[in-house]
Amino acid sequence: MNPMKWPPGRRTLAYSFLAVILLLVVGAILKPGILSGSSLRAIGELAAFVGFVGVGQTMVFLLGGIDFSVVWVLNASAILVVAQAAGKDAGLPLALALTLALGAVVGLANGVGVAYFGISPIVMTIGTNGIIEGLALGQSKGLTCGSCGSAPAPGLTAAMQGRVGGVPGVVLVWIGIILLISLLLSGTTYGRRVYATGVNPVASYLAGVGVRPVTVSVYVISGLFAAVAGIMLVTFGGGASLGLGDPYLLESIAAAVIGGVSVLGGRGHYIGTVAGALALVILVTILNAEQIPEYARDIIYGGVIIVIVLLYGREKRTA
Amino acid sequence: MTSAGARKGWRSHFAVQQATLLLAIGILVVTVLAYLGFFQSQFQRMPNDYAWDSTITNALPLVFAGVGQGIVVLTRGLDLSVGGTMDLTNALAATHMTSSAGGMLGWSLIILAIGAGIGAVNGLLVTVGRLQPIVVTIGTMSILQGVAAAVLPQPGGSIPAAYTDVMGNTGSPVGVVFVAVILAFWWLLRRRPLGVALYAIGNDPAAAAANGVNVARTKVAAYVLSGTLAAAAGLFLAAGSSGGDATGGDSYLLASFAAVVLGGVSFRGGRGSMVGVVCGAGVLTVLVSLLFYAHVNSLYESFYQGLFLIVAVLLGLGVTAWTSRTRRGGAR
Repeated sequence: MNPMKWPPGRRTLAYSFLAVILLLVVGAILKPGILSGSSLRAIGELAAFVGFVGVGQTMVFLLGGIDFSVVWVLNASAILVVAQAAGKDAGLPLALALTLALGAVVGLANGVGVAYFGISPIVMTIGTNGIIEGLALGQSKGLTCGSCGSAPAPGLTAAMQGRVGGVPGVVLVWIGIILLISLLLSGTTYGRRVYATGVNPVASYLAGVGVRPVTVSVYVISGLFAAVAGIMLVTFGGGASLGLGDPYLLESIAAAVIGGVSVLGGRGHYIGTVAGALALVILVTILNAEQIPEYARDIIYGGVIIVIVLLYGREKRTA
Repeated sequence: MTSAGARKGWRSHFAVQQATLLLAIGILVVTVLAYLGFFQSQFQRMPNDYAWDSTITNALPLVFAGVGQGIVVLTRGLDLSVGGTMDLTNALAATHMTSSAGGMLGWSLIILAIGAGIGAVNGLLVTVGRLQPIVVTIGTMSILQGVAAAVLPQPGGSIPAAYTDVMGNTGSPVGVVFVAVILAFWWLLRRRPLGVALYAIGNDPAAAAANGVNVARTKVAAYVLSGTLAAAAGLFLAAGSSGGDATGGDSYLLASFAAVVLGGVSFRGGRGSMVGVVCGAGVLTVLVSLLFYAHVNSLYESFYQGLFLIVAVLLGLGVTAWTSRTRRGGAR
């Protein structure tokens, strides 16, 4: 691979950031308030949630897979972190550890099913999504259990909503994760292995890449970050709710696709997903400011995804 | 193509298809027997005709949506817009259908045509647009959900009672007729050039193209069939209740994949039978009643469905590995 062309798909990366700037300019013309501090903070926070789930979806996409289980891993994590801590800071460390472990275990199951049993990622992650949904609903008695309705631990809320130099804590966490994942993908042999496996698993296997462990690892990362998203989200909604994870499947996939990550694997970078998440949230903010009804938002959302992939997500002509 | 190796390869593919189909039928039989066992222990009698008829009628939306999904999966594609198409067609039926015979027939045909049109758009974006099916159909899913919400903002509208009598009657064996219709349709399609082409491009698109199969046209046809069958599923869904709901189809997306998997259709494309998908849809429908009579807390329903799905796919992979000697490389 030509080292000058690293990471693969740099041009689409530039396009996605161009889209973010263009949307901000359009937004500023239509609604000057969009560039105010409070508006930018809200955009950053909303994009961070998409960005957390987007970490996993990007990593899994890079191997040509997909993760449908983020929906209920996120929702179950939100319920677990709230119910376990029961609104007290004392229980928070254990609650956080258990919740992250839940995400990692589901990811491990997905990865093992895909890598070692050869189950299609779609089927495997739909299956585990159902399993986690049933467990979350059953164990929390449909979110009616004693501690299910408690507020998130005050320490967590303070950390995520508190600001450092005007930047909300949750955005700072996101910036840290962006740096971490970028380093992981671009600066480590592990990152090279992920790209190599995504481009050609057989060749990578023959070149000595542990294709199966690498595959398992991306699903574990996906489960882990879906759990992180769930933990973060409860601090903003004031508690867990059912259906919390529903929008994040479509949004994480859309963010990755807009950011130029190919669902076929091997092409794209988390930085692109970051741009995709920002572009999506800015678009929604503009639509909200223009008081466009909910259903029209869905239509525009879908239309934008298709138009953007038509612009730069097309496959090469094979014939 | 005439070498012994190629013919042996063809025969082993054939064996694999039959094996997974037999597995699908086996799972259906086991599920129905378990259902009967729980029913018997609960009521000390067998289910009556009404129980059978209503179960089959309730399965119809999933049977049709699943077969549509299965046809697309055969071509190595997938259709995430199935649920959105059902939302829209369900909403259209609830808001527009009139109670005259002509009105019901006319609107049914219009709605099926809309489904075909949605499929054509998906298919053209995938082929002419050279886009990934998953991205295209996620986009159209979102658009269709939005349009459905615009057509029917709140659950409501009305479905003519006569329509329910014909399409969704739980007290008559009309469901059996519709299952027979879809099986007959598949039997015919499988023997048409299009049916052969669907399998061919699923197995090896390049080889299919070299042998004169129009890959793009076949793919578009697969999505058109999926859209049309999803529209039919939306009509059955509407007929099963007195009104419409613009989100009623959403849960059928994941269920349609589950039916395809339980039916033994391979996500690698080119293998499987829609008879299996019909069985898979039956399994999923009976499973809900089985869990109910087994006194499983309904909150745990998706837990068992998810577990069932993974166990079934593992069984299918085991059978495939057992019947085919083809060894895969270390990858995946």
